Amino acid sequence: MPILWLLLIVLAISAVGYVVGRRRALASVGHDGRALHSLPVYYGANAFLKAIVPAAGVVLVWLLAQPLFVDNRVSQMIPDSEIREGSSRGLLMSEVRRTADGIGNAVRAGVLDDDLARDPGANAEDMTATLKEAGQVVTSNITQPVLNAAQAYRSMIERSNVLMTIAAIAVAIAGGAWGVMQSSGTFRARNVVEQGVLALLIAAASVAILTTIGIVLSLVFNTVEFFRLYPASDFFTLLEWAPSFSGRGGASSLGIIPLLWGTFYISLVALLVAVPVGLFAAIYLSEYATPRVRGIAKPLLEILAGIPTIVYGLFALLTIGPLLLSVFGDSTGLGWMQGQRAVLTAGIAMGIMLIPFVSSLSDDIINAVPQAMRDGSYGLGATKSETIKQVVLPAALPGIVGAILLAASRAIGETMIVVLGAGAAARLSLNPFEAMTTVTAKIVSQLTGDSDFASPEALVAFALGMTLFLMTLCLNVFALYIVRKYREQYD
Amino acid sequence: MSDAAMDTSGAAPQPTKSLMTEDARTKKRNASERRFRYYGIAAIGTGLFFLIALLTAILTAGIPAFRQAVVEIPFTMTQEQYDEAEAAMLKTGIYTGYFIDGLSAEMKERGVDIEFDKAAVDRLLGKVGGQLRAYYRDNEDQLGQPIGFEVAASSRVDRYLKGTFTRGDLVEGNRFFMPEDFDLIDAMRDAGIVKQVFNWTFITGVDTGVDNPGGAGIGASVLGSFFMMLVVLVLALPIGVAASIYLEEFAPKNRFTDLIEVNISNLAAVPSIVFGILGLAVFIQFAHLPQSAPLVGGLVLTLMTLPTIIISTRASLKAVPPSIRDAALGVGASKMQAVFHHVLPLAAPGILTGTIIGLAQALGETAPLLLIGMVGFVARYPEALIDGFLEPNSAVPAQIYNWAARSDAVFTEKAWGGIIILLLFLITMNTIAVILRRRFERRW
Amino acid sequence: MNDMRIVERDVESSETKIAARKVQVYYGDNHAIKDVDVDIADKTVTAFIGPSGCGKSTFLRCLNRMNDTIDICRVEGDILIDGEDIYDKRIDPVQLRAKVGMVFQKPNPFPKSIYDNVAYGPKIHGLARNKADLDQIVENALRRGAIWDEVKDRLDAPGTGLSGGQQQRLCIARAVATEPEVLLMDEPCSALDPIATAQVEELIDELKQNYSVVIVTHSMQQAARVSQKTAFFHLGNLVEYGETGQIFTNPVDPRTESYITGRIG
Repeated sequence: MPILWLLLIVLAISAVGYVVGRRRALASVGHDGRALHSLPVYYGANAFLKAIVPAAGVVLVWLLAQPLFVDNRVSQMIPDSEIREGSSRGLLMSEVRRTADGIGNAVRAGVLDDDLARDPGANAEDMTATLKEAGQVVTSNITQPVLNAAQAYRSMIERSNVLMTIAAIAVAIAGGAWGVMQSSGTFRARNVVEQGVLALLIAAASVAILTTIGIVLSLVFNTVEFFRLYPASDFFTLLEWAPSFSGRGGASSLGIIPLLWGTFYISLVALLVAVPVGLFAAIYLSEYATPRVRGIAKPLLEILAGIPTIVYGLFALLTIGPLLLSVFGDSTGLGWMQGQRAVLTAGIAMGIMLIPFVSSLSDDIINAVPQAMRDGSYGLGATKSETIKQVVLPAALPGIVGAILLAASRAIGETMIVVLGAGAAARLSLNPFEAMTTVTAKIVSQLTGDSDFASPEALVAFALGMTLFLMTLCLNVFALYIVRKYREQYD
Repeated sequence: MSDAAMDTSGAAPQPTKSLMTEDARTKKRNASERRFRYYGIAAIGTGLFFLIALLTAILTAGIPAFRQAVVEIPFTMTQEQYDEAEAAMLKTGIYTGYFIDGLSAEMKERGVDIEFDKAAVDRLLGKVGGQLRAYYRDNEDQLGQPIGFEVAASSRVDRYLKGTFTRGDLVEGNRFFMPEDFDLIDAMRDAGIVKQVFNWTFITGVDTGVDNPGGAGIGASVLGSFFMMLVVLVLALPIGVAASIYLEEFAPKNRFTDLIEVNISNLAAVPSIVFGILGLAVFIQFAHLPQSAPLVGGLVLTLMTLPTIIISTRASLKAVPPSIRDAALGVGASKMQAVFHHVLPLAAPGILTGTIIGLAQALGETAPLLLIGMVGFVARYPEALIDGFLEPNSAVPAQIYNWAARSDAVFTEKAWGGIIILLLFLITMNTIAVILRRRFERRW
Repeated sequence: MNDMRIVERDVESSETKIAARKVQVYYGDNHAIKDVDVDIADKTVTAFIGPSGCGKSTFLRCLNRMNDTIDICRVEGDILIDGEDIYDKRIDPVQLRAKVGMVFQKPNPFPKSIYDNVAYGPKIHGLARNKADLDQIVENALRRGAIWDEVKDRLDAPGTGLSGGQQQRLCIARAVATEPEVLLMDEPCSALDPIATAQVEELIDELKQNYSVVIVTHSMQQAARVSQKTAFFHLGNLVEYGETGQIFTNPVDPRTESYITGRIG
């Protein structure tokens, strides 16, 4: 792992910079720390930061730019004639990369001679055989141009890595030296270091923005790519979801409506379970329960929130499903239900998951209603339930609506429960005992497995992801806005 | 009554009714009050019922995964037998023969008389001959001495003894199990040579194929999860704390800061699968990091956990009263020194608690891992430290999903068992968080 | 002290509405009210005065069992209204509070329309047979609350949108709409400006024609202005109780004198 070594070397250089910088600053004032502008550590830290930050930046930028640059160069080496019918340059490039990785691994394992690996005249068939022998995953047979491109790719990456190492170390040494040179008694080391730390803090805060940008870009690019291969009008209007498994599009019907319906239906069932139970639990806990009961029941309910969704998925598939089947199923029950995967199966499990979510949010919101409101009502001779129904809940309504919207957004985005409990077939049906599928479940099924990322069947997942992202984003922004407005009202 | 209500000019209140008697209307109102109260109790009860049902399902279905049926017989192999077997062509066959002899002798000794053949032993106990041979090749000094030889029974024996596989469940013509095998197991159980022991393989083992569901273990994926959590801890904690310090202590009130704030609260509510898509597109498609690697999983989970950590860290920073900052600034410390020397240490317990809770959340997350390919079949441990980050591996929740998706009932049992392991980790982490909070919580 | 105009008023009715005997109130371990005996007359304004934390509000809240909503609060002794012990097990606090209305320190209109605020009490107690009936009750209550003219054109506007003084008069209107016999007021003017205070005080003076009004106040001037009887509380004890004029001009207990002359408080 050369990168790790490189980082360790840079770290060592920076550490040397720290020690030397500190010494030099002290030496400049005859080892009397009081004569320095700042504490000695700041002189060391100055040199340390000047060495490590630019070097780390160089490595980061290099690693981001390298694939773009190398791919571009290698891609030009492949003649158009090499691209087979139905394939694309992108597919071929991934083959090149796989081959290059394979060669690298084979050389490291000692199966392949390094000189042969670099020899542009090497026979493609022999190479294929050797790589297969070495247990490397390669395509059935490597063509000569692909082999040559892979060799070029490998050598370019290697050269680039060497250059990067040199550049990073040089920058680190130069930066460290600069920091050391600055270390004299009058240098305002603390101010400079604090400026640097502040910049690092800002960079850390920007990670959140970068994440959002990353999400949006990765969704947008792939979605646009998808709509180039598959008509957007079909995607939004077709009432059928039937991807072909052969790969190359064509026969696939990729309509989002059945998936949206499944998502909506399952979320509805979940909310029908979670909202009444969660809301009444919150009302009881905040208005009726003695502190003792509250102290026991609230944490117990919140355990439900800490349980991972995979557990609920398994619970849906292996407990709720069979239970429903025994009541509504063909053999022993009413004959309404065919399999254990159904809208109800997933919906109930998801509802259980959302109970603590709804109840703790509503609890907060109900508690925010001022006691004076309740006193006013009790003072008029209202009973507790009248006070709750006619004063507390209407006052808390905006907040509770916000909480329910947040729960709905959770339900829409939930994946594991529907993957395990809801089924795989997309259906437009009103029967809650039938298996249906959701947007999230289809994202998983289209992106796992061996499909390449260039076919519409895989790319559709990004369009689904985009839809999901936009739906939940709107719900969240709206819900958070309502809740914040509500809070401000009583602050 | 309404006359009285309308006629207000100086009218005396109506003749007083006694408060002691509950009038009809109050009765009705009190009844509805009680009803409402019962709804609340019913709601709490429903929630708790679901919790209990969930835990019961997990425990009853998962605990059997920790137990394993083994057959143990006293066994002695002489030097001559060993030499003879080693000289033969089909060595393991001969060893199997020795084992069968030993088994029959032991059963006779215990007063059980039943006929069985080599095929039955193969079906019930797997490749006994190979195991026996491996044992003696490793322990040649044991030759000629009596030993207690223990061999794991097949998963069907296991499930039969646990009661999850009955005579009625056997499908006609199953070549892995014959009806007469039930009698043999019964006989061995009566003889007391088959028993249940703690299944260490489940804890330490790796995933197996469908031919050996009983041998599958969760060990490798625990390691995968561990490496991911390491990545999350190393990245999310410093970045999260740095971002929180900036936003809480230094950020000016401007558009950029507002943007970050809105961003963070929205990221906290973005579905986890979207982070999986991000990881797939950015780390795998774009940056060509290895698929299925814990490093990539860790990066994705870092981005996912970051908002949680930032939100809780900011809450702990906010809880430190401004007087502390003023005191530090008052003796001439810079703002940065005030924050790093005074505010941060005081907020540390809260930050740590939030981080542990964020890690626990990341540990149980499955959906994004599916997209970056951490569901593949992983049948080995990483060899070196660096491989732990870069070699394809699974994670505990992904491994559970993987097992749950297979049809074999043994894997289902393993999936429940895996959930127990996962929950044990989560309980431990949350307990630590609660203890930290109790121990160090400061009320200003 | 020269703005204290002490008006000698006749106590119109000497009939006892509320009788408290040996009342003790505990908040957890804290003994908040000690051995209070007091008789409150019908159709009279009775003022409770005393320094902060002396227990006057606590005692007021005992009179309609508002303290029931506080878990750690415990009341001993007898409080009789019209001869019935309100802490008797058979008494329903809901019925009691309909008879003994309360106005709070801070105006607390519900986040509903002005109309619904006033109609709330009559609705839950079933005082109106139909909509017209209810309209009439609301109008009468708002008139008695001396706020009708200000709000009659905007009965659908939210009650929270009114000014502080209007809100408090709305709360008083809300309280009288349920036809109580006793009206408890817990520092009803402390959140109001002087003009609003004057309006509320005027209102209290009118209300005493129909109700027995008990008012807790911090302001001795206010007590002197509106009440016929005054009770002085100190450290949980009822120190002195009598005609307002007598308490302010000729107190018996030295503690009372110290308080009204501003030496303790």
